[in-house]
Amino acid sequence: MILWIFALHGAAMVAAALLGRSSIRRGMAAAGVAPLVGAIWAISQLQGDNAPSTEEIVWVEQLELVLRFSTTPLALMMAALVSGIGVLVFVYGVGYFDDTAEGGARFSTTLLGFSASMLGLVLADSVWTLFIFWEFTSVTSFLLVGHKNTYPATQAAARRALMITGAGGLALLAGLLILADNVGSTSLSDLSPASGTRGTVAAVLIMVAAATKSAQFPFHVWLPGAMAAPTPVSAYLHSATMVKAGVFLVALAGPAFGDTVSWKVLGMAFGIASMMWGGFIALRHEDAKLILAWGTISQLGLIITVLSIGTGKAVFAGVSIILAHALFKAALFCVVGEIDVRTGTRNVSELGGLSRSMPIAFAVAVAASLSMAGAPPLLGFPAKEAAIEAVLGLEGLEQLIAGIGIFGGSVLTVAYTTRFLYLVFGPGPETTVAPVRWAMTIPSAILAMAGFAGYVFIGWVNDIVIPAATQVNPASDKYELIAWPGLKTAFVISMAIIAAGLALGWVIANRTQEAPDARGANVADRTLDNVLILADEVAGRVQHGSLPVYLVTMILTVTLAGTIFLGDLDTNGWVAWDSPFQAILSATIAIAAIGGVAVGSRLGAALTLGAVGVAMAGLFLTHGAPDLALTQLLVETIVVVGFVLGLGHLHRRFPPVEPTWRMIRLFVAIAGGLVVSGGLLAASARPVGQAPVEALQEGSVDPGGGNNVVNVILTDMRALDTLGEVVVLGAVTLGILALASTRSTASNR
Amino acid sequence: MIEIHSPTARRGVEVATPLALLLGTYLLFAGHNNPGGGFAAGLVFGCVVALRSMTGLLKASGSFVLIAVGILIVTAVAFSPLLWGDVLLDMQIVETKLPILGKVKSGSAFVFDIGVTAIVVGLVVALLNGLGSTPRPRETDNS
Repeated sequence: MILWIFALHGAAMVAAALLGRSSIRRGMAAAGVAPLVGAIWAISQLQGDNAPSTEEIVWVEQLELVLRFSTTPLALMMAALVSGIGVLVFVYGVGYFDDTAEGGARFSTTLLGFSASMLGLVLADSVWTLFIFWEFTSVTSFLLVGHKNTYPATQAAARRALMITGAGGLALLAGLLILADNVGSTSLSDLSPASGTRGTVAAVLIMVAAATKSAQFPFHVWLPGAMAAPTPVSAYLHSATMVKAGVFLVALAGPAFGDTVSWKVLGMAFGIASMMWGGFIALRHEDAKLILAWGTISQLGLIITVLSIGTGKAVFAGVSIILAHALFKAALFCVVGEIDVRTGTRNVSELGGLSRSMPIAFAVAVAASLSMAGAPPLLGFPAKEAAIEAVLGLEGLEQLIAGIGIFGGSVLTVAYTTRFLYLVFGPGPETTVAPVRWAMTIPSAILAMAGFAGYVFIGWVNDIVIPAATQVNPASDKYELIAWPGLKTAFVISMAIIAAGLALGWVIANRTQEAPDARGANVADRTLDNVLILADEVAGRVQHGSLPVYLVTMILTVTLAGTIFLGDLDTNGWVAWDSPFQAILSATIAIAAIGGVAVGSRLGAALTLGAVGVAMAGLFLTHGAPDLALTQLLVETIVVVGFVLGLGHLHRRFPPVEPTWRMIRLFVAIAGGLVVSGGLLAASARPVGQAPVEALQEGSVDPGGGNNVVNVILTDMRALDTLGEVVVLGAVTLGILALASTRSTASNR
Repeated sequence: MIEIHSPTARRGVEVATPLALLLGTYLLFAGHNNPGGGFAAGLVFGCVVALRSMTGLLKASGSFVLIAVGILIVTAVAFSPLLWGDVLLDMQIVETKLPILGKVKSGSAFVFDIGVTAIVVGLVVALLNGLGSTPRPRETDNS
């Protein structure tokens, strides 16, 4: 069934590409069919006690290269979120875009491609599958952030997002490799606690990967820039789903690293830093989307913190907040998008009084904000209570740090939410608004209602969250979300947070302030630019294009590498010659070579080189290798033709060479010759094992069917080598021909 | 293309061509039992093409096609055994009796060699076209 759902996504992508060509709204509508089916499937699977089922496509069994998907409780919960919010976002997109919007086919296809990738990521049961879909989400995110691809700011934002999440993907690959090797299985359902140094390294790598994807401090710099994307993308990728991939990874790897100290410390450091910094910056922004983006960084920090704490209660709280956050943050983004479309601005200082002109959006925003602040009667309340309970269950320093972090982060959350609501919807000159677009209003209302329904039908939510959390930490099955806990410590703290946040938000909202600079993003961009400049300079210095320098460098390298063989030189068993012909031929070669160096004309040098080659062919003959000799002679002939043609382009005589440079070349040439000769002598003095001559000769006649061993080796026994060489040679030549033809057309112009 | 405008050279190449072609064909067939083979045959044919085009008897072209056809032939020979359930590059030997020639033995290795020959000739033609194109201005060579 899972594979059929992916097939449906593929088909819907084709449909979206065709329909989106004429209108982006049609493309979005067509694309929405696939997540609709996915959502119905995932929610139906969540009903009742279904044992996880697995589906796979095996590619290379021995390497465990498989695409394997499994319907574990956590995976199903995430799949329901991905597809469920997906449907709403596609419907929302129908309202968000105008018919005149460009790139409809590209946008709707890519967004659906992201939806399918995210579904693959959460359902993956093998480390390879997980990694592949993880990278797909990075790439589709890059394409969607850069959708308005003519703006330089958008290009920079897309590049930044790709670089940071892409680097995280590499860390993930390394971490998964170590982990899979440690556990001895690529299956994610077989994870067992990792220990030792390798366990620590894997824990750090995977946590860093999660932090890049979930925009944790200091990797968060890409997320605010990603708000350059159209709002459906922000609501879907950069609040509800893709940034949850990192959080999901932390949950998924929990069974392996729950007891690893570095995992816990690093996760809490990322989480608490992001929670505080994100909340602090969100207080100061004027752009409503940026307020929400920084708020997302803060909220993701909260989830990462509780998941890293790793106790049963904390994991339970983390999984609950994943669910609650996806609903309320997507709703808030949808509201901001609607405000943007209907008023033409997202700047909170220009907006005001929208509670009267956009009553439904106001209700949705209040409901979602209350859920985010952790106030009843919304799903965010029991989830936040669970987090506070989890902190109260800790001891000592850990409790202190986590407590201050979560308390501070939550106060900031309430504060920036209050400021946002007050400035947009509160008193002030009423902004003029365009008529309502129901395709935008209804999805955001459904998202807000879901937060309320989750509170009312809390038992149903428990049925989803408890198995999912138990999958991460078996100790989580003791806990449940409680709709009304009564006057317990956690409740009092919760109310204190809301009170403090309201006060802070009220104070800040009435003050005018300057929006903060995107300092982190600038640093990231400058770093990337400087790396590119450095690469350019290094390449310019190393690849300067002088053929003699290249040759000298290569020969010098070979010489230095070859000197290690000289230690094996052994004069015993040296034979002067097998026949006197060899002496004569060798002398010819030496004389011709010296002549080639001394001669001043290019044609003369070519001829002496030809003499060397022909004498070499003679040497091969005296050693009993007629095939080699034949080939050598023929190659020499072709080379002579080549020289004749090439010399036509050059001056008759060699250009004069600077004396020092000539000495260097001379030295390198002589040293190279000596080392190669010495190395060959050393190699022949130390035969390793018996040469397989007889086996080759027998194999040549039967089954090879030929008496010429050399050629049977080439065309039969080792034909795979020949095939490879021939194909590479051909491909390279075709490439050079293509390059050469572009150069000549360019210079003819 | 640089052309050598010597009637002697042209006549010599004309006379030598059939002999060289015969030699190349012999090398191609002889390869399995005696010195020779597809590579050597390709070089001989390549020499013929080079000499004829230098004396203006032939305009060498089609290196792209020759290389592509060669690669197609060798890969076809390499992969066709898979169709019959044999392993990659499993070479077949065929033996028949023909009039005049008597017993003749050949196999798919021969077809493989033909592919190699085509690629080598293609490479030579590419060399001729690449180096033999219009010479660059002499001033670039500062001496």
